[in-house]
Amino acid sequence: MKALMRALRAMPAMLRVGFAEMVAYRAELVIWILTALTPIIMLLVWDGVAANGPVGGYDRAAFARYFTAGLFVRQLTSSWVVWELNESIRTGTLSPALLKPIHPLAFRAAENVVVLPFRLVVMMPIAVALWLWRPEMGMFIEARALPLCLLSIALAWAMNFLAQTVFGALAFFAEQSLGLFNVWFSLWALLSGYLFPLELLPSWARTIVWYLPFRSMLAVPTEIAAGQLGGAEALLEVGVQAIWVVLFFFAARAMWRAGVRRYEAFGA
Amino acid sequence: MTASNDPVVVVDRLSKVYRVPRKDPGLRGSIGSLFRRRYQEVRAVDGVSLEIRPGERVGFLGPNGAGKTTTLKMLSGLLVPTDGSIEVAGHRPWLREPEFLSQITLVMGQKMQLIWDLPPRETFELNRALFDLDAAECKRTLEELVELLELGPLLDRPVRNLSLGERMKCELAAALLHRPSLLFLDEPTIGLDVRMQVAVRQFIAQWNKQSGATVLLTSHYMADIAALTPRVVVISSGRIVYDGSLETLVDKLAPERRVVVMPLRPLSQEELTAAAPFVLEEGRLVVTVVVQEVKRVVDRALRELPVQDLAIEEPPLEDVIAQLFSSEAEA
Repeated sequence: MKALMRALRAMPAMLRVGFAEMVAYRAELVIWILTALTPIIMLLVWDGVAANGPVGGYDRAAFARYFTAGLFVRQLTSSWVVWELNESIRTGTLSPALLKPIHPLAFRAAENVVVLPFRLVVMMPIAVALWLWRPEMGMFIEARALPLCLLSIALAWAMNFLAQTVFGALAFFAEQSLGLFNVWFSLWALLSGYLFPLELLPSWARTIVWYLPFRSMLAVPTEIAAGQLGGAEALLEVGVQAIWVVLFFFAARAMWRAGVRRYEAFGA
Repeated sequence: MTASNDPVVVVDRLSKVYRVPRKDPGLRGSIGSLFRRRYQEVRAVDGVSLEIRPGERVGFLGPNGAGKTTTLKMLSGLLVPTDGSIEVAGHRPWLREPEFLSQITLVMGQKMQLIWDLPPRETFELNRALFDLDAAECKRTLEELVELLELGPLLDRPVRNLSLGERMKCELAAALLHRPSLLFLDEPTIGLDVRMQVAVRQFIAQWNKQSGATVLLTSHYMADIAALTPRVVVISSGRIVYDGSLETLVDKLAPERRVVVMPLRPLSQEELTAAAPFVLEEGRLVVTVVVQEVKRVVDRALRELPVQDLAIEEPPLEDVIAQLFSSEAEA
């Protein structure tokens, strides 16, 4: 509790420094943002498929809604802590951060959060272009769904950050930990609703996917944002997200604690 | 700060064993290690015991890989010891409790905490927040550091645009902003030019005097040790082979002196023969004798030789230490 209060007191300064970093790295950041534009490509693909009639209940407008929402959710739940951790553990640059009274991940989280508004700004013209291209998608998110949608996005962000922490902390144990993350990332891309709406899956596959964490990381907030998920069902899904966040938190903490004991502070 | 003189560092039979993956050279070795990894245990620190009192300045000496840095990393809490006990400022370092971390600092020569693409001021601001420092007090400390280290013109330039020496000075400032009472310095002058080395040395000495902080440092530069640390701990192969004053170490290891005579005029062959055990070296007469013999040799030289000038030289510290390590290696 004391540690949390300390971190919260330090948060304004961490956000400010994170912002200064973002400004210094803005060009690189734009490139990172553009690497996550897959939903646009998928939209073009599915738009073509749906040209001759709806697919699994999705017509062209529904696909446009889904992938535009997915684009925003993907941007707002991104983090890159796995790369940072991997690098800093292998090269030993984690050392100075470990000797600060606030957990190294607190500053990493601040860095990852502070760029979110910038991501939104970059997305705006793209969203406008998509809307001009398929105006029939409409202004889909309802004002009263917005709070739940934002909560769902926040939980999905936390899941992504914590999952990346787990894989980042693997670098304490194995040199090739990024490879494992890539396996995870592939599963995520396939099963999170990033490449296609999960409703298009056959029902047996949907059942399997329901028990996996991936859909909580993208599909749930996307469907809420696209107006496809609402009411009690949406609340239930957000509750499931919260349970995943707790599980991921304990996994990340266990991984980190075990890893730090093995840290060898290479370099120097 | 209390005036207690209880040791601030208590280390008892401390050991650290690394497990290092072993790979045979070549493709065959690479493929082999894919399937079955073999590990080798490396005992980096092997039963080190040590006590340090508040305000002491202690230098860790030893060849590369002797275990100096590993010891320092365990003292600062980066590494978990394999064996033995360690207490620093009343804490077990590897638990890294905030109360412990705000009392210590570790400066590693090349391992930067400065944020590379931002001016040092941003790192200072971040550290202020991370250590939860009072803004006004932090400002005063920073002003003090800026003055002592002459950082003024550097504060607002991106770190990447600073020279190595300038970065090192900023690194020291970032490490001291929270006014730690225990300084662990790993090669604080490495890679710096002589002028900058002197500046950093002076700064550390002054900081120790002003704040009463305990200083532990490792260095390859004997000048650092000679100027900063009256007490030296020599580590070799993970063990302490000497712990005591620098003077005693030099006397013990190098009981010899060089007596150098600059003759008034060139000497003839007969005179040279008569001058033995002095030998001619670049126009000077030189002999190396044990300390006890110095007076006799000097008396005789003054009596029998045409002396213009005479000097008694101690062997350079580097040679003394090199001798220590080579005798260690042979033992």
